[in-house]
Amino acid sequence: MLQALADASFGAVVLQSGDWGFVFENADYLLEGTLTTVLLTVASVLLGFLVGFPAGVVEVYGGRVLRAIVGTAGVVLRGTPILVIFFFGYFVFRFGGAFETAIVGLGLRSAAYQSQIFRGSIQSVSEGQMEGARSVGMSKLEAIRWVVVPQALRRSIPGFQNEMTIVLKDTSIAYAIGVAELLTLSRELFIQETTAVMEVFLFASAIYFVLTFTTNRGLDYLGQYYGIPTEESV
Amino acid sequence: MNPLLRLDSVYKSYGDEEVLRGVSLDMEVGDVEVVVGPSGSGKSTLLRCVNRLTEIDDGDIYLDGDRVTAPDTDVNELRRDVGMVFQDFNLFAHKTALGNVTLGLRRVRGMGKVEAREKAMEHLDQVGLGDQADSYPAELSGGQKQRVGIARALAMDPKLILFDEPTSALDPELIGEVTEVMRDLASGGMTMLVVTHEMTFAREAASTMTFLDQGEIVERGPPEQLFDRSERKRTREFLSRITARHGDAQP
Ligand SMILES: Nc1ncnc2c1ncn2[C@@H]1O[C@H](COP(=O)(O)OP(=O)(O)OP(=O)(O)O)[C@@H](O)[C@H]1O
Ligand SMILES: [Mg+2]
Repeated sequence: MLQALADASFGAVVLQSGDWGFVFENADYLLEGTLTTVLLTVASVLLGFLVGFPAGVVEVYGGRVLRAIVGTAGVVLRGTPILVIFFFGYFVFRFGGAFETAIVGLGLRSAAYQSQIFRGSIQSVSEGQMEGARSVGMSKLEAIRWVVVPQALRRSIPGFQNEMTIVLKDTSIAYAIGVAELLTLSRELFIQETTAVMEVFLFASAIYFVLTFTTNRGLDYLGQYYGIPTEESV
Repeated sequence: MNPLLRLDSVYKSYGDEEVLRGVSLDMEVGDVEVVVGPSGSGKSTLLRCVNRLTEIDDGDIYLDGDRVTAPDTDVNELRRDVGMVFQDFNLFAHKTALGNVTLGLRRVRGMGKVEAREKAMEHLDQVGLGDQADSYPAELSGGQKQRVGIARALAMDPKLILFDEPTSALDPELIGEVTEVMRDLASGGMTMLVVTHEMTFAREAASTMTFLDQGEIVERGPPEQLFDRSERKRTREFLSRITARHGDAQP
Protein backbone atom coordinates (compact mmCIF):
# COMPACT_ATOMS: atom_id res chain seq x y z
CA MET A 1 0.00 0.00 0.00
CA LEU A 2 2.80 2.41 0.86
CA GLN A 3 4.29 1.63 -2.51
CA ALA A 4 1.02 2.50 -4.17
CA LEU A 5 0.92 5.82 -2.33
CA ALA A 6 4.47 6.65 -3.29
CA ASP A 7 3.84 5.79 -6.94
CA ALA A 8 0.67 7.76 -6.91
CA SER A 9 2.23 10.92 -5.52
CA PHE A 10 5.13 10.62 -7.93
CA GLY A 11 2.73 10.68 -10.81
CA ALA A 12 0.87 13.71 -9.57
CA VAL A 13 3.46 16.41 -9.34
CA VAL A 14 1.63 18.49 -11.92
CA LEU A 15 -1.97 19.46 -11.54
CA GLN A 16 -3.62 18.56 -14.79
CA SER A 17 -6.99 19.72 -15.98
CA GLY A 18 -7.78 16.19 -17.03
CA ASP A 19 -7.31 15.06 -13.49
CA TRP A 20 -9.74 17.67 -12.22
CA GLY A 21 -12.16 16.31 -14.77
CA PHE A 22 -11.65 12.88 -13.29
CA VAL A 23 -12.37 14.22 -9.80
CA PHE A 24 -15.56 15.96 -10.87
CA GLU A 25 -16.78 12.93 -12.80
CA ASN A 26 -16.45 11.00 -9.59
CA ALA A 27 -17.77 13.73 -7.32
CA ASP A 28 -20.88 11.65 -6.53
CA TYR A 29 -18.65 8.96 -5.24
CA LEU A 30 -16.78 11.37 -2.98
CA LEU A 31 -20.00 12.96 -1.79
CA GLU A 32 -21.20 9.54 -0.78
CA GLY A 33 -18.07 9.26 1.34
CA THR A 34 -18.74 12.72 2.68
CA LEU A 35 -22.21 11.65 3.76
CA THR A 36 -20.72 8.69 5.62
CA THR A 37 -18.20 11.00 7.26
CA VAL A 38 -20.96 13.36 8.35
CA LEU A 39 -23.11 10.53 9.70
CA LEU A 40 -20.15 9.08 11.52
CA THR A 41 -19.28 12.45 13.05
CA VAL A 42 -22.81 13.30 14.11
CA ALA A 43 -23.48 9.89 15.60
CA SER A 44 -20.14 9.79 17.42
CA VAL A 45 -20.41 13.30 18.82
CA LEU A 46 -23.97 12.58 19.90
CA LEU A 47 -22.97 9.37 21.62
CA GLY A 48 -20.04 11.26 23.12
CA PHE A 49 -22.43 13.87 24.48
CA LEU A 50 -24.94 11.39 25.85
CA VAL A 51 -22.21 9.57 27.74
CA GLY A 52 -19.74 12.40 28.31
CA PHE A 53 -22.15 14.95 29.74
CA PRO A 54 -23.41 12.76 32.59
CA ALA A 55 -19.84 11.62 33.11
CA GLY A 56 -18.76 15.24 33.55
CA VAL A 57 -21.57 15.83 36.04
CA VAL A 58 -20.55 12.70 37.95
CA GLU A 59 -16.93 13.82 38.03
CA VAL A 60 -18.01 16.99 39.82
CA TYR A 61 -20.94 15.91 41.96
CA GLY A 62 -20.71 12.12 42.10
CA GLY A 63 -19.78 10.03 45.11
CA ARG A 64 -16.25 8.81 45.57
CA VAL A 65 -16.72 5.37 44.02
CA LEU A 66 -18.66 6.61 41.01
CA ARG A 67 -16.11 9.35 40.45
CA ALA A 68 -13.28 6.86 40.55
CA ILE A 69 -14.96 4.56 38.03
CA VAL A 70 -15.81 7.33 35.60
CA GLY A 71 -12.41 8.95 36.06
CA THR A 72 -10.55 5.74 35.34
CA ALA A 73 -12.61 4.91 32.27
CA GLY A 74 -11.85 8.40 31.00
CA VAL A 75 -8.12 8.09 31.56
CA VAL A 76 -8.02 4.75 29.76
CA LEU A 77 -10.04 6.00 26.79
CA ARG A 78 -8.06 9.20 26.45
CA GLY A 79 -4.82 7.29 26.72
CA THR A 80 -5.53 4.79 23.97
CA PRO A 81 -4.87 5.58 20.31
CA ILE A 82 -8.11 5.65 18.37
CA LEU A 83 -6.79 3.00 15.99
CA VAL A 84 -6.24 0.62 18.89
CA ILE A 85 -9.78 1.30 20.10
CA PHE A 86 -11.09 0.49 16.60
CA PHE A 87 -9.10 -2.74 16.43
CA PHE A 88 -10.29 -3.82 19.85
CA GLY A 89 -13.87 -3.18 18.84
CA TYR A 90 -13.59 -4.73 15.42
CA PHE A 91 -11.39 -7.75 16.01
CA VAL A 92 -11.83 -8.47 19.72
CA PHE A 93 -15.29 -7.44 20.87
CA ARG A 94 -16.91 -7.83 17.45
CA PHE A 95 -20.25 -6.30 18.47
CA GLY A 96 -21.08 -4.96 15.02
CA GLY A 97 -19.90 -4.01 11.57
CA ALA A 98 -17.19 -1.50 10.74
CA PHE A 99 -19.56 1.48 10.75
CA GLU A 100 -21.02 0.65 14.17
CA THR A 101 -17.59 -0.04 15.56
CA ALA A 102 -16.35 3.31 14.33
CA ILE A 103 -19.30 5.12 15.93
CA VAL A 104 -18.86 3.39 19.26
CA GLY A 105 -15.09 3.83 19.24
CA LEU A 106 -15.13 7.49 18.28
CA GLY A 107 -18.18 8.10 20.48
CA LEU A 108 -16.69 6.64 23.63
CA ARG A 109 -13.40 8.34 23.13
CA SER A 110 -15.19 11.61 22.50
CA ALA A 111 -17.22 10.99 25.67
CA ALA A 112 -13.96 10.79 27.59
CA TYR A 113 -12.89 14.18 26.22
CA GLN A 114 -16.32 15.77 26.44
CA SER A 115 -16.57 14.77 30.11
CA GLN A 116 -13.51 16.94 30.71
CA ILE A 117 -15.03 19.85 28.83
CA PHE A 118 -18.20 19.65 30.90
CA ARG A 119 -16.38 19.00 34.15
CA GLY A 120 -14.35 22.14 33.59
CA SER A 121 -17.31 24.29 32.69
CA ILE A 122 -19.39 23.00 35.60
CA GLN A 123 -16.54 23.80 37.97
CA SER A 124 -16.27 27.26 36.49
CA VAL A 125 -19.81 28.09 37.61
CA SER A 126 -19.34 29.78 40.96
CA GLU A 127 -20.32 28.06 44.19
CA GLY A 128 -22.63 30.99 44.87
CA GLN A 129 -24.93 29.90 42.04
CA MET A 130 -25.52 26.63 43.84
CA GLU A 131 -26.11 28.44 47.11
CA GLY A 132 -28.54 30.84 45.54
CA ALA A 133 -30.51 27.91 44.18
CA ARG A 134 -30.40 25.95 47.42
CA SER A 135 -31.50 29.04 49.34
CA VAL A 136 -34.85 29.15 47.55
CA GLY A 137 -35.41 25.49 48.36
CA MET A 138 -34.12 23.66 45.31
CA SER A 139 -32.66 20.24 45.93
CA LYS A 140 -29.10 19.69 44.85
CA LEU A 141 -30.30 17.93 41.71
CA GLU A 142 -32.74 20.69 40.88
CA ALA A 143 -30.02 23.26 41.39
CA ILE A 144 -27.73 21.34 39.06
CA ARG A 145 -30.48 20.93 36.50
CA TRP A 146 -31.89 24.46 36.49
CA VAL A 147 -28.99 26.66 37.49
CA VAL A 148 -25.57 25.05 37.07
CA VAL A 149 -26.06 23.02 33.90
CA PRO A 150 -27.62 25.79 31.78
CA GLN A 151 -24.65 28.01 32.54
CA ALA A 152 -22.11 25.23 32.15
CA LEU A 153 -23.50 24.22 28.76
CA ARG A 154 -23.09 27.73 27.42
CA ARG A 155 -19.50 27.80 28.61
CA SER A 156 -18.85 24.43 26.98
CA ILE A 157 -19.48 25.63 23.44
CA PRO A 158 -15.89 26.61 22.57
CA GLY A 159 -14.52 23.33 23.90
CA PHE A 160 -17.28 21.44 22.18
CA GLN A 161 -16.45 23.16 18.89
CA ASN A 162 -12.93 21.94 19.21
CA GLU A 163 -14.00 18.43 20.06
CA MET A 164 -16.37 18.25 17.11
CA THR A 165 -13.59 19.25 14.73
CA ILE A 166 -11.31 16.61 16.15
CA VAL A 167 -13.94 13.88 15.82
CA LEU A 168 -14.71 14.96 12.28
CA LYS A 169 -11.10 14.65 11.27
CA ASP A 170 -10.59 11.41 13.16
CA THR A 171 -13.45 9.73 11.29
CA SER A 172 -10.83 9.36 8.54
CA ILE A 173 -9.03 6.81 10.69
CA ALA A 174 -12.06 4.54 10.32
CA TYR A 175 -10.66 3.74 6.90
CA ALA A 176 -8.39 1.29 8.72
CA ILE A 177 -11.33 -0.98 9.46
CA GLY A 178 -12.85 -0.41 6.05
CA VAL A 179 -15.56 2.18 6.64
CA ALA A 180 -16.39 3.80 3.33
CA GLU A 181 -15.90 7.34 4.58
CA LEU A 182 -14.50 10.24 2.59
CA LEU A 183 -10.82 9.37 2.87
CA THR A 184 -11.31 5.68 2.10
CA LEU A 185 -13.20 6.50 -1.07
CA SER A 186 -10.67 9.16 -2.03
CA ARG A 187 -7.97 6.57 -1.82
CA GLU A 188 -9.87 4.15 -3.97
CA LEU A 189 -10.27 6.88 -6.55
CA PHE A 190 -6.63 7.83 -6.91
CA ILE A 191 -5.61 4.21 -7.03
CA GLN A 192 -7.68 4.03 -10.22
CA GLU A 193 -6.16 7.19 -11.65
CA THR A 194 -2.78 7.68 -10.10
CA THR A 195 -2.06 11.00 -11.79
CA ALA A 196 -5.04 12.54 -9.95
CA VAL A 197 -3.79 11.93 -6.41
CA MET A 198 -3.15 15.60 -5.69
CA GLU A 199 -6.50 16.69 -7.07
CA VAL A 200 -8.38 14.05 -5.11
CA PHE A 201 -6.64 15.04 -1.91
CA LEU A 202 -7.29 18.72 -2.48
CA PHE A 203 -10.91 18.01 -3.15
CA ALA A 204 -11.25 15.89 -0.01
CA SER A 205 -9.44 18.50 2.06
CA ALA A 206 -11.79 21.15 0.76
CA ILE A 207 -14.71 19.05 1.87
CA TYR A 208 -13.22 18.58 5.35
CA PHE A 209 -12.66 22.30 5.50
CA VAL A 210 -16.22 23.14 4.52
CA LEU A 211 -17.55 20.69 7.10
CA THR A 212 -15.35 22.06 9.88
CA PHE A 213 -16.11 25.63 8.96
CA THR A 214 -19.87 25.21 8.86
CA THR A 215 -19.94 23.26 12.12
CA ASN A 216 -17.93 25.93 13.87
CA ARG A 217 -20.10 28.68 12.48
CA GLY A 218 -23.22 26.78 13.48
CA LEU A 219 -21.98 26.46 17.04
CA ASP A 220 -20.93 30.12 17.07
CA TYR A 221 -24.47 30.97 16.17
CA LEU A 222 -25.81 28.70 18.91
CA GLY A 223 -23.50 30.42 21.36
CA GLN A 224 -24.78 33.84 20.35
CA TYR A 225 -28.39 32.75 20.34
CA TYR A 226 -28.23 31.40 23.86
CA GLY A 227 -25.65 33.94 24.97
CA ILE A 228 -26.22 35.91 28.11
CA PRO A 229 -24.66 39.22 29.05
CA THR A 230 -21.73 38.62 31.40
CA GLU A 231 -19.95 41.02 33.71
CA GLU A 232 -17.15 41.18 31.13
CA SER A 233 -19.37 41.86 28.14
CA VAL A 234 -21.34 44.74 29.65
CA MET B 1 -46.93 30.88 71.96
CA ASN B 2 -43.75 29.72 70.23
CA PRO B 3 -41.26 32.30 69.09
CA LEU B 4 -40.87 32.36 65.31
CA LEU B 5 -37.20 31.52 65.58
CA ARG B 6 -35.42 30.05 68.56
CA LEU B 7 -31.72 29.32 68.76
CA ASP B 8 -30.93 27.24 71.80
CA SER B 9 -27.23 27.11 72.73
CA VAL B 10 -25.95 26.55 69.23
CA TYR B 11 -22.39 25.32 68.84
CA LYS B 12 -20.38 25.12 65.66
CA SER B 13 -16.72 24.43 65.07
CA TYR B 14 -14.58 24.21 61.97
CA GLY B 15 -11.82 21.84 62.93
CA ASP B 16 -10.33 23.18 66.14
CA GLU B 17 -11.85 26.61 65.66
CA GLU B 18 -15.00 27.18 67.71
CA VAL B 19 -17.03 29.55 65.58
CA LEU B 20 -20.29 29.57 67.55
CA ARG B 21 -20.11 28.95 71.26
CA GLY B 22 -23.52 28.50 72.73
CA VAL B 23 -25.59 31.10 70.93
CA SER B 24 -29.19 31.44 72.08
CA LEU B 25 -31.80 33.89 70.92
CA ASP B 26 -35.52 34.16 70.29
CA MET B 27 -37.27 36.19 67.61
CA GLU B 28 -40.98 36.94 67.42
CA VAL B 29 -42.98 37.44 64.25
CA GLY B 30 -42.24 40.87 62.82
CA ASP B 31 -38.96 41.28 64.70
CA VAL B 32 -36.01 42.81 62.96
CA GLU B 33 -32.87 41.50 64.58
CA VAL B 34 -29.61 43.14 63.58
CA VAL B 35 -26.44 41.21 64.30
CA VAL B 36 -23.14 43.05 64.43
CA GLY B 37 -19.66 41.89 65.26
CA PRO B 38 -16.09 41.90 64.08
CA SER B 39 -14.95 39.95 61.06
CA GLY B 40 -14.70 36.26 61.84
CA SER B 41 -16.99 36.48 64.86
CA GLY B 42 -19.38 33.94 63.35
CA LYS B 43 -22.18 36.15 61.98
CA SER B 44 -22.43 34.46 58.59
CA THR B 45 -22.15 31.05 60.19
CA LEU B 46 -25.01 31.94 62.52
CA LEU B 47 -27.29 32.83 59.60
CA ARG B 48 -26.28 29.81 57.56
CA CYS B 49 -27.13 27.50 60.43
CA VAL B 50 -30.69 28.78 60.45
CA ASN B 51 -31.40 27.56 56.90
CA ARG B 52 -28.95 24.71 57.27
CA LEU B 53 -26.53 25.75 54.59
CA THR B 54 -24.23 24.93 57.50
CA GLU B 55 -24.90 22.12 59.96
CA ILE B 56 -24.49 22.81 63.67
CA ASP B 57 -22.61 20.55 66.06
CA ASP B 58 -24.76 20.98 69.11
CA GLY B 59 -27.85 22.79 70.32
CA ASP B 60 -31.21 23.26 68.63
CA ILE B 61 -32.87 25.63 66.22
CA TYR B 62 -36.65 25.91 66.00
CA LEU B 63 -38.70 27.68 63.37
CA ASP B 64 -42.29 28.28 64.35
CA GLY B 65 -42.03 25.48 66.90
CA ASP B 66 -40.55 22.93 64.49
CA ARG B 67 -37.06 21.70 65.23
CA VAL B 68 -35.20 22.50 62.03
CA THR B 69 -32.06 20.79 63.26
CA ALA B 70 -33.89 17.46 63.55
CA PRO B 71 -32.32 14.82 61.28
CA ASP B 72 -35.58 14.20 59.44
CA THR B 73 -36.23 17.86 58.58
CA ASP B 74 -36.65 18.39 54.85
CA VAL B 75 -34.07 21.13 54.26
CA ASN B 76 -35.63 22.12 50.96
CA GLU B 77 -38.96 22.71 52.64
CA LEU B 78 -37.20 24.63 55.41
CA ARG B 79 -35.50 26.91 52.88
CA ARG B 80 -38.82 27.78 51.29
CA ASP B 81 -39.75 29.24 54.66
CA VAL B 82 -36.44 30.96 55.28
CA GLY B 83 -35.30 33.31 52.53
CA MET B 84 -31.71 34.41 52.20
CA VAL B 85 -30.08 37.49 50.76
CA PHE B 86 -26.34 37.24 50.15
CA GLN B 87 -23.56 39.76 50.23
CA ASP B 88 -22.54 38.77 46.68
CA PHE B 89 -26.16 38.52 45.51
CA ASN B 90 -25.78 35.03 44.03
CA LEU B 91 -28.31 35.87 41.36
CA PHE B 92 -28.74 33.26 38.64
CA ALA B 93 -26.46 34.67 35.95
CA HIS B 94 -28.35 33.06 33.06
CA LYS B 95 -31.73 34.43 34.06
CA THR B 96 -33.24 37.89 33.74
CA ALA B 97 -34.38 39.70 36.85
CA LEU B 98 -37.81 38.22 36.23
CA GLY B 99 -36.36 34.76 35.63
CA ASN B 100 -34.44 34.96 38.88
CA VAL B 101 -37.67 35.46 40.75
CA THR B 102 -39.80 32.99 38.79
CA LEU B 103 -37.32 30.09 38.86
CA GLY B 104 -38.02 29.17 42.47
CA LEU B 105 -41.74 29.70 41.99
CA ARG B 106 -41.78 27.41 38.99
CA ARG B 107 -39.37 24.69 40.06
CA VAL B 108 -39.84 24.67 43.81
CA ARG B 109 -43.42 25.77 44.26
CA GLY B 110 -44.57 24.23 41.01
CA MET B 111 -46.43 27.32 39.82
CA GLY B 112 -47.54 27.71 36.23
CA LYS B 113 -45.77 30.14 33.96
CA VAL B 114 -48.40 32.85 33.99
CA GLU B 115 -49.04 32.72 37.70
CA ALA B 116 -45.32 32.73 38.52
CA ARG B 117 -44.77 35.67 36.22
CA GLU B 118 -47.54 37.68 37.82
CA LYS B 119 -46.28 37.01 41.31
CA ALA B 120 -42.70 37.74 40.35
CA MET B 121 -43.72 41.07 38.81
CA GLU B 122 -45.47 42.02 42.04
CA HIS B 123 -42.29 41.46 43.97
CA LEU B 124 -40.11 43.23 41.43
CA ASP B 125 -42.48 46.18 41.69
CA GLN B 126 -42.26 45.94 45.45
CA VAL B 127 -38.48 46.49 45.26
CA GLY B 128 -38.89 49.15 42.58
CA LEU B 129 -37.57 47.12 39.66
CA GLY B 130 -40.65 46.42 37.60
CA ASP B 131 -39.04 48.23 34.68
CA GLN B 132 -35.89 46.08 34.82
CA ALA B 133 -37.65 42.72 34.61
CA ASP B 134 -35.92 41.77 31.37
CA SER B 135 -32.40 42.78 32.36
CA TYR B 136 -29.76 40.21 33.15
CA PRO B 137 -27.83 40.48 36.41
CA ALA B 138 -24.73 41.63 34.54
CA GLU B 139 -26.71 44.57 33.18
CA LEU B 140 -27.84 45.76 36.62
CA SER B 141 -26.09 47.94 39.17
CA GLY B 142 -25.11 46.40 42.49
CA GLY B 143 -28.05 48.02 44.23
CA GLN B 144 -30.45 46.72 41.61
CA LYS B 145 -28.94 43.25 41.82
CA GLN B 146 -29.45 43.17 45.54
CA ARG B 147 -33.03 44.29 45.17
CA VAL B 148 -33.60 41.42 42.74
CA GLY B 149 -32.07 39.17 45.40
CA ILE B 150 -34.59 40.49 47.89
CA ALA B 151 -37.45 40.00 45.44
CA ARG B 152 -36.31 36.44 44.82
CA ALA B 153 -36.39 35.72 48.53
CA LEU B 154 -39.73 37.48 49.04
CA ALA B 155 -41.41 35.56 46.24
CA MET B 156 -41.21 32.32 48.18
CA ASP B 157 -43.40 33.94 50.88
CA PRO B 158 -40.91 33.12 53.61
CA LYS B 159 -41.63 33.35 57.32
CA LEU B 160 -38.20 34.82 57.88
CA ILE B 161 -35.52 36.38 55.70
CA LEU B 162 -31.81 36.20 56.49
CA PHE B 163 -29.66 39.06 55.22
CA ASP B 164 -25.88 38.52 55.23
CA GLU B 165 -24.25 41.92 54.81
CA PRO B 166 -26.59 42.84 51.97
CA THR B 167 -24.93 46.19 51.33
CA SER B 168 -21.27 45.36 51.92
CA ALA B 169 -20.48 44.75 48.26
CA LEU B 170 -22.13 47.97 47.12
CA ASP B 171 -20.74 51.34 46.20
CA PRO B 172 -21.69 53.77 48.98
CA GLU B 173 -24.15 55.67 46.82
CA LEU B 174 -26.11 52.48 46.12
CA ILE B 175 -26.54 51.39 49.71
CA GLY B 176 -29.52 53.63 50.38
CA GLU B 177 -31.78 52.05 47.77
CA VAL B 178 -31.28 48.66 49.37
CA THR B 179 -31.70 49.71 52.99
CA GLU B 180 -34.79 51.60 51.94
CA VAL B 181 -36.35 48.42 50.57
CA MET B 182 -35.36 46.62 53.75
CA ARG B 183 -37.00 49.30 55.86
CA ASP B 184 -40.18 48.94 53.85
CA LEU B 185 -40.14 45.23 54.52
CA ALA B 186 -39.54 45.83 58.21
CA SER B 187 -42.45 48.20 58.49
CA GLY B 188 -44.55 45.77 56.49
CA GLY B 189 -44.08 43.25 59.28
CA MET B 190 -41.52 40.93 57.71
CA THR B 191 -39.39 39.03 60.21
CA MET B 192 -35.75 39.70 59.40
CA LEU B 193 -32.42 38.53 60.76
CA VAL B 194 -29.86 40.95 59.41
CA VAL B 195 -26.08 41.04 59.58
CA THR B 196 -24.99 44.53 58.60
CA HIS B 197 -22.58 47.34 59.25
CA GLU B 198 -25.20 49.93 58.37
CA MET B 199 -25.62 51.49 61.77
CA THR B 200 -28.24 53.93 60.64
CA PHE B 201 -30.40 51.05 59.51
CA ALA B 202 -29.70 49.23 62.79
CA ARG B 203 -30.65 52.18 64.92
CA GLU B 204 -33.80 53.01 63.04
CA ALA B 205 -35.15 49.66 61.89
CA ALA B 206 -33.95 47.06 64.37
CA SER B 207 -36.23 45.88 67.10
CA THR B 208 -33.34 44.08 68.72
CA MET B 209 -29.63 44.28 68.24
CA THR B 210 -27.09 41.60 69.00
CA PHE B 211 -23.37 42.08 69.37
CA LEU B 212 -21.56 38.86 68.57
CA ASP B 213 -17.88 38.44 69.32
CA GLN B 214 -15.79 35.30 69.05
CA GLY B 215 -18.85 33.15 68.67
CA GLU B 216 -20.63 34.46 71.72
CA ILE B 217 -23.37 36.99 72.25
CA VAL B 218 -21.75 39.76 74.24
CA GLU B 219 -24.82 41.91 74.47
CA ARG B 220 -28.35 41.88 73.15
CA GLY B 221 -31.09 44.45 73.52
CA PRO B 222 -32.89 47.37 71.88
CA PRO B 223 -30.55 49.35 69.61
CA GLU B 224 -30.64 52.42 71.87
CA GLN B 225 -29.29 50.30 74.68
CA LEU B 226 -26.28 49.13 72.69
CA PHE B 227 -25.63 52.48 71.05
CA ASP B 228 -26.28 54.86 73.92
CA ARG B 229 -26.13 53.13 77.24
CA SER B 230 -24.13 50.00 76.85
CA GLU B 231 -22.35 48.94 79.99
CA ARG B 232 -20.03 46.65 78.11
CA LYS B 233 -16.71 48.03 77.07
CA ARG B 234 -16.41 45.63 74.12
CA THR B 235 -19.75 46.74 72.74
CA ARG B 236 -18.96 50.42 73.07
CA GLU B 237 -15.57 50.08 71.48
CA PHE B 238 -16.84 48.01 68.58
CA LEU B 239 -19.81 50.27 67.90
CA SER B 240 -17.80 53.47 68.02
CA ARG B 241 -15.30 51.99 65.62
CA ILE B 242 -17.96 50.74 63.21
CA THR B 243 -19.93 53.99 63.40
CA ALA B 244 -16.82 55.96 62.58
CA ARG B 245 -16.34 53.83 59.51
CA HIS B 246 -19.84 53.11 58.25
CA GLY B 247 -21.79 55.54 60.41
CA ASP B 248 -24.04 57.95 58.67
CA ALA B 249 -23.69 56.41 55.26
CA GLN B 250 -27.18 57.56 54.52
CA PRO B 251 -29.89 59.61 56.16
N1 LIG C 1 -16.64 26.60 55.50
C1 LIG C 1 -15.72 26.93 56.43
N2 LIG C 1 -14.66 26.15 56.68
C2 LIG C 1 -13.74 26.48 57.61
N3 LIG C 1 -13.79 27.59 58.35
C3 LIG C 1 -14.82 28.42 58.15
C4 LIG C 1 -15.84 28.15 57.18
N4 LIG C 1 -16.74 29.15 57.21
C5 LIG C 1 -16.30 30.01 58.14
N5 LIG C 1 -15.15 29.59 58.71
C6 LIG C 1 -14.41 30.28 59.78
O1 LIG C 1 -15.28 30.56 60.82
C7 LIG C 1 -15.03 31.84 61.36
C8 LIG C 1 -16.31 32.65 61.36
O2 LIG C 1 -16.67 32.90 60.02
P1 LIG C 1 -17.95 33.72 59.60
O3 LIG C 1 -17.96 33.77 58.12
O4 LIG C 1 -19.15 33.19 60.28
O5 LIG C 1 -17.58 35.14 60.22
P2 LIG C 1 -18.29 36.52 59.98
O6 LIG C 1 -18.61 37.06 61.32
O7 LIG C 1 -19.41 36.38 59.03
O8 LIG C 1 -17.13 37.38 59.35
P3 LIG C 1 -17.18 38.51 58.22
O9 LIG C 1 -17.59 39.78 58.89
O10 LIG C 1 -15.78 38.59 57.74
O11 LIG C 1 -18.14 38.08 57.15
C9 LIG C 1 -13.94 32.44 60.54
O12 LIG C 1 -12.74 32.34 61.27
C10 LIG C 1 -13.88 31.61 59.31
O13 LIG C 1 -12.56 31.48 58.86
MG1 LIG D 1 -19.76 37.02 57.05
